[in-house]
Amino acid sequence: MSVPKLEIINLRKVFGNGSVVAVDGIDFTIEAGETVALLGPSGCGKSTTLNMIVGLEDPTSGDIRIDGRSVVGVPAGKRNVGLVFQDYAVFTHMTVFENLAFGLVIRGRPKAEITRAVHDVAELLGMQKSLKLPAAELGGSELQRVAIGRTLVTKPAILLLDEPLSNLEASARLAMRRELRRLQSEIGLTIIYVTHDQIEALSLADRIAVMNAGKLQQIERSSVICEKPDHVFVAGFMGSPPMNLLRGEIARDGAFTGFRRESLFIQLPPSEINSGRAGQPIILGVRPESLKLALADESMIFGKVTIVEPRGPEAVVTVEAGAISLKAVVLAAGRPQEGSNVGLIADPSSFVFFSGETGRRLAS
Amino acid sequence: MELDLKPLRIDSIFPAALEVCGLSKAFGKNAALNDIGFAVPEGSLTVLLGSAGAGKTTTLRLIAGLDRLDSGRVVMRGCDMTALEPKDRDIAMIFDNLALYPDKTGFANIASPLSIRGAEKSDIENRVAQISSTLRIAHVLNRLPKTMSGGERQRVALGRALIRKPGLFLLDEPLSSLDAMLRIELRAELKRLQRDLGATFLLATPDFSEALAVADSVIMLRGGRIVQVATAQSLYDDPVDREVARFVGTPEINLLEAVYEPASQGTIRVAGASIAGLTRLQKSLPKGGGPFEIGIRPEQLKLSPLEAAPIQARVFDVEPLGLRSMLTVKNEEAEMRLVIDAGAVQGYAVGDAVGINVIDANLLAFDTVSGIRIA
Repeated sequence: MSVPKLEIINLRKVFGNGSVVAVDGIDFTIEAGETVALLGPSGCGKSTTLNMIVGLEDPTSGDIRIDGRSVVGVPAGKRNVGLVFQDYAVFTHMTVFENLAFGLVIRGRPKAEITRAVHDVAELLGMQKSLKLPAAELGGSELQRVAIGRTLVTKPAILLLDEPLSNLEASARLAMRRELRRLQSEIGLTIIYVTHDQIEALSLADRIAVMNAGKLQQIERSSVICEKPDHVFVAGFMGSPPMNLLRGEIARDGAFTGFRRESLFIQLPPSEINSGRAGQPIILGVRPESLKLALADESMIFGKVTIVEPRGPEAVVTVEAGAISLKAVVLAAGRPQEGSNVGLIADPSSFVFFSGETGRRLAS
Repeated sequence: MELDLKPLRIDSIFPAALEVCGLSKAFGKNAALNDIGFAVPEGSLTVLLGSAGAGKTTTLRLIAGLDRLDSGRVVMRGCDMTALEPKDRDIAMIFDNLALYPDKTGFANIASPLSIRGAEKSDIENRVAQISSTLRIAHVLNRLPKTMSGGERQRVALGRALIRKPGLFLLDEPLSSLDAMLRIELRAELKRLQRDLGATFLLATPDFSEALAVADSVIMLRGGRIVQVATAQSLYDDPVDREVARFVGTPEINLLEAVYEPASQGTIRVAGASIAGLTRLQKSLPKGGGPFEIGIRPEQLKLSPLEAAPIQARVFDVEPLGLRSMLTVKNEEAEMRLVIDAGAVQGYAVGDAVGINVIDANLLAFDTVSGIRIA
């Protein structure tokens, strides 16, 4: 069993005399060559975590190990981790070559080594022809490439990218995502992305670590995290739109067991989840893609269409019934009118349930 | 030159909240806007859509009176505003780079337009409470801007503009500095707010998904000219040219060289294959046949068994997008993007041979040279 590239052990960071807990005891490991995204809303602690890995902040407690060795207390410059910020920090008064060489020049490496390393990285990034250009003449995605190249030249053990694509235009972002995926597979680097953009995380990372309020809510493979949220926060965060979440309780109605919230009662087939949970608070999750338009008498919920948001091939429809609001994704051709009344139905097998107390997924 | 104006478009017996006609503006020798004319109906949410430099912000600034127009007229509810000062135009403008009073709390910032006008204190409090709960910023009312997040500041700026009830709101990329998640959430809120207030919004954005999600009507700008005015959905279904088709939709539409051969059973040659039976597209193509550019949305391409599929290609890139994935495939003739269910993508690796079929629905055809839509 090889040593993990990075181990985060019960990591905590407290600011301001203990009043603000930015990172609240998180644990995860990253294997060599793996790509992991730290994903969460602003203020969730992802940037603080990144800063502690890089060495810009000291942890309050816990440990950070790279290749099995603790780096807590090791200065930022000596951890052999490369960091690329969202503001590219490319020196615009220098050429591309000088920018790429910078990290090695300040380390006092021999000139021949620098030249070789810069050319290797330039080839990798497809920038051989731009080496003599002043950085001031480059566009957004080229600047980003230079910023990444400048870090790669120093051959870091781990590459950390902080919101790497957020300053790029939408079309450039798409191309850069593909470029980064190619880089990953070619050089086999261990990479951590920090982002608030789930599309970026899904598209770039092997696994996604979803953070909220300083805690790691779930770390899971990108390919399945949308379908297998472990925690109600992840369910409410992943997907566009995210999962519909209804707080209610398991209740009995005559011979039937089901989910109840106010006047809404959804009959559920017998299962481990609802047997013996009558009266307990529960959160029902249903993906907008699982809800279908239905006739009034066969529908699970009947309400008024308040908003229709076309998305091209499909539309997101918001249906409100009393205090309940649900979003459904329907084909554009079959979308209802705003203001009309529609029914919604879903196959109960697509429901997921979370504990009303802990927010954890209940096993089905 | 005043006599040279085009007649105003009359959409209903009520005058539109805003009509502009013949709007032109040059900065030095560069024409920023060229003879722009459109109407914004009362109570509607109209979007100016276009990439950077299309003329969105210039249009808004001319309407607000912040820049002097070279020619044209700005008419609100039937009254000509062209000569009026910005403050007399009954317009609120919301920029993307927000300027809040740094020494005032969230409450005072939001309330300031009413306080300046000497409104009743209880009235101010009610309105601020209502707006701040809709924008979910009740928790920052007692805080100074420097202690707020970017998203909170943006919403306070929105709240400050919304608390007045002007005849027209101009919003210049109001959500662009927010987190991706918050942006998607708030755009639905913005639309709801506009409905509830019965207000008229003219919103500029470079983000087509934002435009589609909120707009009653979209004005597509390019290079200082209007290229299309349509509802959000028809901009996607019925683009006037190749550039609009490419701008609207993600992943981007596949644009491939194609040849229509009416003589050989009406086949369409595309991506190294000869495809028969695309009857809907054939019907609207020029009878004589010939080369054109076919536009195929990524969801109109389907993976099929290799031996039965007209198009053969190899997987070049797989991009997971949550519940779906984007597959980029290539053969000697073309590169194509497909959107498929994430579950279905598991079996495919880069380099695998795949078969692809074209669904005969919503296919678009463009003139190869001009890019104008021909079918």
